[in-house]
Amino acid sequence: MPNYQILFERLYHEHKTLVYNMALHYLQNIEDAEEVTQDVFVKVYHSLTHFQQKSSYKTWIYRITINQCLDFTKKKNSRKRLYLFGSKSENEREYLNTATFEHPGILMENQETAAQLFAVINTLTENQKTAFLLSKLDGLSNPEIAEIMEMSISAVESLIFRAKGSLQEKLSKKFTEYRKK
Amino acid sequence: MEKDQWIQTVLNSTNGMSAAMPSDDLLAKIQLKIKQREKVAPTTVWWIAASIAVLVTLNVALLQKAKTRDNSTSSYLEHTLNQSNQLY
Repeated sequence: MPNYQILFERLYHEHKTLVYNMALHYLQNIEDAEEVTQDVFVKVYHSLTHFQQKSSYKTWIYRITINQCLDFTKKKNSRKRLYLFGSKSENEREYLNTATFEHPGILMENQETAAQLFAVINTLTENQKTAFLLSKLDGLSNPEIAEIMEMSISAVESLIFRAKGSLQEKLSKKFTEYRKK
Repeated sequence: MEKDQWIQTVLNSTNGMSAAMPSDDLLAKIQLKIKQREKVAPTTVWWIAASIAVLVTLNVALLQKAKTRDNSTSSYLEHTLNQSNQLY
């Protein structure tokens, strides 16, 4: 399938940054984001022959990325639960580091506050987190998010509104801890 | 007031963020993963699955045969013991 190979490489070059950054925002770990990016493109390669052109390649790749991130998080959380019964390992320490995640693209002076934001984003529900990340960090419009998440625009608006409310509430609680420092 | 200001600072901390770039060798790693998956042909997977099924069937059959043999031996012993241990 030589044509698919060319198409795949074109899709890779056009969407690699999108996939990697979405995975990075979702997982907040550089190694995990690279692993998920690899898995997403392996999936894209194998599914290319079945792609029915019902949506754009961008929407389709976004969906694969989100699903892959959710699967990865679930697997990681189940491993985390197992660690509760065992001894501390390198991976477990890695989990504890997520609260201090430093995004490579964020301005140096904002790194500390951004780490606080990422830690709070992690406490949102799956859908709220996805909608908020796509809106705030990827800068997508509500209709674009609605297409990716296969929801109505009003449902997306409501998700983002609730996510912002929840973030403000949680940050408000964090403020007292911040002041003690 | 101070609290609201801090919350806004945190919420706006990602403003002006630039996209992170994946490593240059990522495409090579992906292509390697694709090749590794392709190496295991579907026919090989079917052969392995069929072999496992045959092994399981043989084990079950052998276990059942052993169980029936055990039952017949114990009933024979029981019968002969009853005959030889008569106290009257």
